[in-house]
Amino acid sequence: MAFGPVRFSPPECCSSAPTFPQPPRLLPGSQRSGRSLSDAQGWRHVCQGTGAGLLQPKADRPRWVSVPVGVSSRSRGMLRRAGPSLRHVLLERANSAGHSLRFSKAKMSRPVQARRLEGVDKNIWVEFVKLATTHATVNLGQGFPDFPPPDFLREAFVRAVSGENHMLHQYTRAFGHPPLVKILAQFFGKLLGQELDPLTNVMVTVGAYQALFCCFQALVDEGDEVIIIEPFFDCYEPMVKMAGGTPMFIPLRPKAPKAGQLMSSADWQLDPAELASKFSKRTKAVVLNSPNNPLGKVFSRGELELIADLCVKHDALCISDEVYEWLVYDGKEHVRIASLPGMWDRTVSIGSAGKTFSATGWKVGWTVGPTRLLQHLRTVHQNSVYHCATAAQEAVAQGFQRELERLGQADSYFAHLARELQGKRDRLVQSLDAAGMKPIVPEGTYFLVADISAFASDVPNTTGSDEPYDSRFAKWMVKNKGLAAIPLSAFYSGPHKNDYSRFIRFCFAKEDATLKAANDILQKWKREKAGP
Amino acid sequence: MPFKHKNTRRIEGLDSNVWVEFTKVAADPSIVNLGQGLPDISPPSYVKEELAKAAAADRLNQYTRGFGHPLLVKALSQVYERVCGRKIDPLTDILVTVGGYGSLFSTVQALIEEGDEVLIIEPFFDCYEPMVKMAGAKPVFIPLRNKNDGNSASSADWVLDPTELANKFNSKTKAIILNTPHNPIGKVFTREELQMIADLCIKHDTLCISDEVYEWLVYKGNKHIKIATLPGMWERTITIGSAGKTYSVTGWKLGWSIGPQHLIKHLQVVQQNTLYTCPTPLQEALAQAFWIDYKRMDDPDCYFYSLSRELEGKRDRMAQLLREVGLKPVIPDGGYFMIVDKLSAIPLSAFCGPETKVQFEKYIRFCFIKVNLCPRKNQKIEINECKNLQ
Repeated sequence: MAFGPVRFSPPECCSSAPTFPQPPRLLPGSQRSGRSLSDAQGWRHVCQGTGAGLLQPKADRPRWVSVPVGVSSRSRGMLRRAGPSLRHVLLERANSAGHSLRFSKAKMSRPVQARRLEGVDKNIWVEFVKLATTHATVNLGQGFPDFPPPDFLREAFVRAVSGENHMLHQYTRAFGHPPLVKILAQFFGKLLGQELDPLTNVMVTVGAYQALFCCFQALVDEGDEVIIIEPFFDCYEPMVKMAGGTPMFIPLRPKAPKAGQLMSSADWQLDPAELASKFSKRTKAVVLNSPNNPLGKVFSRGELELIADLCVKHDALCISDEVYEWLVYDGKEHVRIASLPGMWDRTVSIGSAGKTFSATGWKVGWTVGPTRLLQHLRTVHQNSVYHCATAAQEAVAQGFQRELERLGQADSYFAHLARELQGKRDRLVQSLDAAGMKPIVPEGTYFLVADISAFASDVPNTTGSDEPYDSRFAKWMVKNKGLAAIPLSAFYSGPHKNDYSRFIRFCFAKEDATLKAANDILQKWKREKAGP
Repeated sequence: MPFKHKNTRRIEGLDSNVWVEFTKVAADPSIVNLGQGLPDISPPSYVKEELAKAAAADRLNQYTRGFGHPLLVKALSQVYERVCGRKIDPLTDILVTVGGYGSLFSTVQALIEEGDEVLIIEPFFDCYEPMVKMAGAKPVFIPLRNKNDGNSASSADWVLDPTELANKFNSKTKAIILNTPHNPIGKVFTREELQMIADLCIKHDTLCISDEVYEWLVYKGNKHIKIATLPGMWERTITIGSAGKTYSVTGWKLGWSIGPQHLIKHLQVVQQNTLYTCPTPLQEALAQAFWIDYKRMDDPDCYFYSLSRELEGKRDRMAQLLREVGLKPVIPDGGYFMIVDKLSAIPLSAFCGPETKVQFEKYIRFCFIKVNLCPRKNQKIEINECKNLQ
């Protein structure tokens, strides 16, 4: 039996009001909303009267039949593998999240969405942000400050949008607003020891997130391997996959701290032999994130040289995510891998105004690198978003101008922010330690990971659940204690999610009042555990 | 250096871009820039004020909801429910993107892949072709043809040939990209023309990517019709809008995709893997501006209508100026561009695929969303432009 194409229109003629019926609910099983297009068995019905959405037998057309609304991903794979003659008999109950099939003869087995989206649809933030919004009284989960950007930056923005030059509300240069790329070239040229051309060695992006996207799309092809150090900022893996690449994971491994001391993020290290074994002729790039989210590790010069040597040896590129470059504590130095011998030519360094200036909602980021790499990022950028918003770029340019004048001085915002955050780090470390959670003291970033083993009795292990322990713990904690944090397993690849499942990540870029409130929750919790 | 530092296959041949070339030339101050489509008129004052207010609010400088700031998607759903006459869920049927451009990219990346064919109507906004290619698919072109055979006074003279259009559809046709009001010609597709496209989409089970960024810029005697409101089309259409074009703030780079959940959800997956979220203060300000205009959608002073009245005057002024220097403008029914039958500004061949370039070579496009069109100054400069670009 052959099919012709199917109409998807809702049978509007059949309902009294011209309102759009709700699509089937995205629930497991076969629940349907009352006014769904499909019946209880998941079959889409069509109007016999007007022909809207109608599967109409016509003389010159093969007979059509009712067809399923959607198909589970398991069945989708089955349909894809089935030959043409079998496809029409594979009739499935609609039970998945919006995988709509189109049913013309040639398209029968294909889902509507592109294959590049396979395996990249899950996102931890959607779930955890929702939980925090619903339950949290103290949100130390998602990584953003709860204090505002500095006044000088906000004033610069207000000037840009209310000033006489209303052209700041119109398109600017696609690869970066001229005043911004100019100051970035000056600033980073100094820090990298390179003469930078603002037009070819710098590109502005919609946050560092879009910079990462441009890197992977521009430089990673199907079959390329990309080395990712675990734990990692979660977007690296799906971005590599969406580009058709294969992520190769290598863990930071914790060493025991010195006796009597708290563990430091410096105690989490790469095994040199293990790292070397991950490189092959298929290795296109390494993704480096220093200072590291979530651990807060600041890679030492020696550690970076280890990575650099391998990149040079295997002619691999380095995508260096340095968004937390200013958030470095205890006098530690943030070393830029692009400044190491042999690395400038093969490295794209990524930065973020959001993290630099406590303005994550502005979504201004940048890439710095040699033009022979940046030219390809420009191609992706001009074919994806093309321009970034103008006014925020103007304000960030002014922010950098101010900071350039104060670089290395006590009244520099960068120095001030690092001092403030170090104090907050120490406060949270103290709270967690006093409560019985074991913090890993971060050398940088505004994140801190703590071992929650001492509280495990509150959230017993359940058999038959493949959700990592720390994820269940974090959900229980936000619902029962009102304290939001992110499970460390969120930052590991699938097979490794249970390797370090007794840790959760806290963000301490919060007002002192927030940190005090967190302390109160933790101390109360500890008292409850100790009993009357 | 070895192959590893080469570009990926997906961007092979996509590096050149007409705007990069032309904005360089137009940067010359002796040239009046009527090329790139950006207003030099000021956005309405309340729009600028809302942005200043948003930046001053502490909490509005940090991340907001990835798929769209709650206040903004709510406002968009209200405005478009009214326009479309159907319920639109702000959380599942809308995605806020980096401009209309970002919506086009998200839609193509979400729904188009290798093996697909995508129909593009020529002349077209230039990014459609490279975006389709970057997704690994094949662009198939169909030209608008001048039904008056060389004499074209109006954008309505440019039409699709029904048989030619029907022949372009086949089992591989994943989508057709529609742009109405049309850039560069300014054509506003009629209900009958849209129905013809819709019938083919339904017959061949094809998606429709409807770029409607100029939706409010339609001139007297014309009505913008959303193809998604035609029977059978909501389920298969993504409709794209733009704050830049709606409020004369192209530098805000905010746009949106509206459509059925089962399509929008895939655009949302692209969003969470490309830029995650759009800027917060801009979205807040846009939401506030939309509320102001939503409340006066029955009032002629609503910016959605007042802008097009203002532009109609500029359209007519520009047409007059062009005739005075011996050029033949094609009066647009919508948008803020006008094409003329001679040289200068953006050559129309930039908007065409290889086979049709010849047909459009004698036309060029002007943008008229500009403050003052001073006849004397323009007269002199236009002649200079012709010399420079020849």
